[in-house]
Amino acid sequence: MTVWTRSTLYQKDLVRSAEASDQKPIPFALVERNGRGLCLRAVNGAAQKLGLWRGQSQADARAMAPDLVTVPADPAAEALALQRLALWAERFSPCVALMADGPGVEGLALDMTGGTHLFGGEPAFIAAFEARLAKAGILARVAMADSLGAAWALARFGGLTQIAPEGGAREALADLPVEALRLDPEAVILLKRFGLQRIGDLYPLPRAGLARRFRGPRAGAMGLKVVERLDQALGFRAEPVVPVRPPPAYRSFQVFAEPITETAGVALYLPDLAKALAEQLQRDGQGARRLTLTGYRVDGATTSIEAGLSAASAQPSHLLRLLKEKGLEALDLGFGIDALMLSAPVAEPTLAQQEGLDGERAATEAAALAGLIDRLQAKLGEDAVQTPRPRGSWLPERSEGWDAASSLGFGAFDPVLRPRPILLFHPPERVEAIAELPDSAPARFTWRRVARRVVRAEGPERIAPEWWRLSPASPRPPRTRDYYRIEDETGRRYWLFREGLYGREDQDRTPEWWLHGVFA
Amino acid sequence: MSDPPPFPEGFPVPERGLEEVAAAEPQDLAAALAFALLRVSPEPEKGLQRPSLFVAAKAWLRERGRPFAQGWPMPSPSGGGLIVVAVADERQAIWALEEALKSGAVGGAVAALSAPDFVATRRLAFAAKAGGAAAAILRTTGAEGLSAAWRRWRIGSLASAPQAFDVRAPGPARLRAELTRRRDGLPGVWELEWDDDRRIWRDAKSGPAAAEQARGLRLAAGLAGDGLDPFDPVSEGSRQVG
Repeated sequence: MTVWTRSTLYQKDLVRSAEASDQKPIPFALVERNGRGLCLRAVNGAAQKLGLWRGQSQADARAMAPDLVTVPADPAAEALALQRLALWAERFSPCVALMADGPGVEGLALDMTGGTHLFGGEPAFIAAFEARLAKAGILARVAMADSLGAAWALARFGGLTQIAPEGGAREALADLPVEALRLDPEAVILLKRFGLQRIGDLYPLPRAGLARRFRGPRAGAMGLKVVERLDQALGFRAEPVVPVRPPPAYRSFQVFAEPITETAGVALYLPDLAKALAEQLQRDGQGARRLTLTGYRVDGATTSIEAGLSAASAQPSHLLRLLKEKGLEALDLGFGIDALMLSAPVAEPTLAQQEGLDGERAATEAAALAGLIDRLQAKLGEDAVQTPRPRGSWLPERSEGWDAASSLGFGAFDPVLRPRPILLFHPPERVEAIAELPDSAPARFTWRRVARRVVRAEGPERIAPEWWRLSPASPRPPRTRDYYRIEDETGRRYWLFREGLYGREDQDRTPEWWLHGVFA
Repeated sequence: MSDPPPFPEGFPVPERGLEEVAAAEPQDLAAALAFALLRVSPEPEKGLQRPSLFVAAKAWLRERGRPFAQGWPMPSPSGGGLIVVAVADERQAIWALEEALKSGAVGGAVAALSAPDFVATRRLAFAAKAGGAAAAILRTTGAEGLSAAWRRWRIGSLASAPQAFDVRAPGPARLRAELTRRRDGLPGVWELEWDDDRRIWRDAKSGPAAAEQARGLRLAAGLAGDGLDPFDPVSEGSRQVG
């Protein structure tokens, strides 16, 4: 278990601009307004050297360092930056959790169980991790221990100790201050009043007394739970880790010795990744429904492309083609990526392909259709490829729903014996119409600025409003529609409807004419 | 020019290849679409039905209306299935059509394109042949320029056929199909009528329904002979009073 924590958290771009302006690093701080006026929220290395500290008021800091550069803090952007960093850290472990307990104490937790040997052992791993972060312009301390609590304590207060050996958390923590237990400030003050400065001071105390003393009014909150925190740090009590996103069950990974800066390089490694992923999937009889290709950039960010599949597939060639269709150019490689991961976040069992009764042709055509839909969706977008499905409504615009197309089946429509247009306007278009009798078909109408004389008309087909669907957005009740199939003097056929009945519905509104579709 | 061969017998519908269908005027687009769909409709005689595909730009769908499956003139409205692909521009539309045809997964495809160049149409023709599918390019305006399409049609709306039971109502739809270019013979012009039972476009001047139409015409003429204009609601009103 590793906790990585930033001594200061700031938006990297701001820091960069401050540092690039001069050879000598400029003291820099983020400020926020709290009960005591403007205070420093985070400081960089140069500011720390000058003796500035988090929580100091801006006026005091300015007095100590007149050339301090301050920028208002943006907590939302900070949270986003931490999230991005967590995704990047998935390069080292599939289970990465955010530890955003409050301003200035943000960090990441990585579950490295059984994984450090891949990076050459624990010390080498920590060194590599810190070096990578430093390269990306992030000050960080990495620590490793059996439990989350112990690693957290070592990362912030450990000094030179960064690794607690297996089973050695008790000794490693003994000399650390009680703040390292992730306690409420009130609890820390109380402990110090009792003269309990170090964690080791708590070991010989009777647990019952400690628990009773630090129950307090806020015991239910994170507050004064000294015994719980102590148990968590020593590994007696389990602490769940909630990863930023669930680790994908199927993934293939490729690490590069030198960063790749060109798309062509990614394309070169992609076939091997696809093959490795497909092997894992096939072994379990699964197929990918969603594919993610993630590139881990050297500057502590990730870049990824995603593709959806309409039917589960574990064929390397198909997976490969989908990603290419999606466009590898969409990957923002920046200064280069040093690792590439292809994962299937969503996988489903593949249906056994039966080639029997209705012949091989049906199976191959279904597979071809699934492949086609996937390629179209990958290139054009998820909602670009649709198929109509019948829905239980008489209103024309509600009688058909549009779903994402799938090779597994199409909506079956009952034959409609009434005239229905080939193209439907949604929403309907307003027309000016003149009818000879209030309730009859129109004699003339103007649509898109062209006046048309009606020669023949059929109707009305009356469709009552769906009063049970009264929406709060439109305060007026929906009105009855009378549909007419109309032919004008040039032989074009239209579908018009009059909304509202004269004198019977909604007295203060006159009925309106709309054009809803065109016939062949 | 000698009389053109009867329609559609002279032009078997399940011909696999590329055709171009243009609306004579922008308002004839619905008729042109209905004609194009029948030109590419999946083969009903074979037990297996592949879905059909319609490709159009999003702007086209907004401006000219979106497909309405219940009014879609397919041989059977439920069979085969329909996939609608909404694209951003013409380049994507051509790509989507070519992919669909090549894949062999669709039986027929129609794409609304404005001005594909010769190379694009040639690629589409090859793709259609490779996938064993029929394709039609639907054009809003008359087709100019070179094209690799096997046939090029120009479709205009006509006044519908008389309806036997209601003289004031529009009957089966009619259209004028002009074959402007073809590679395998002479051009020609046909008047076609929608046959709702067989769900095909058939020659309006021949066929089994001709007798029924004649009866409808006689009925209309008879009413007009009585001094009652069937299209005049006022005279109809007086008739009801009388």
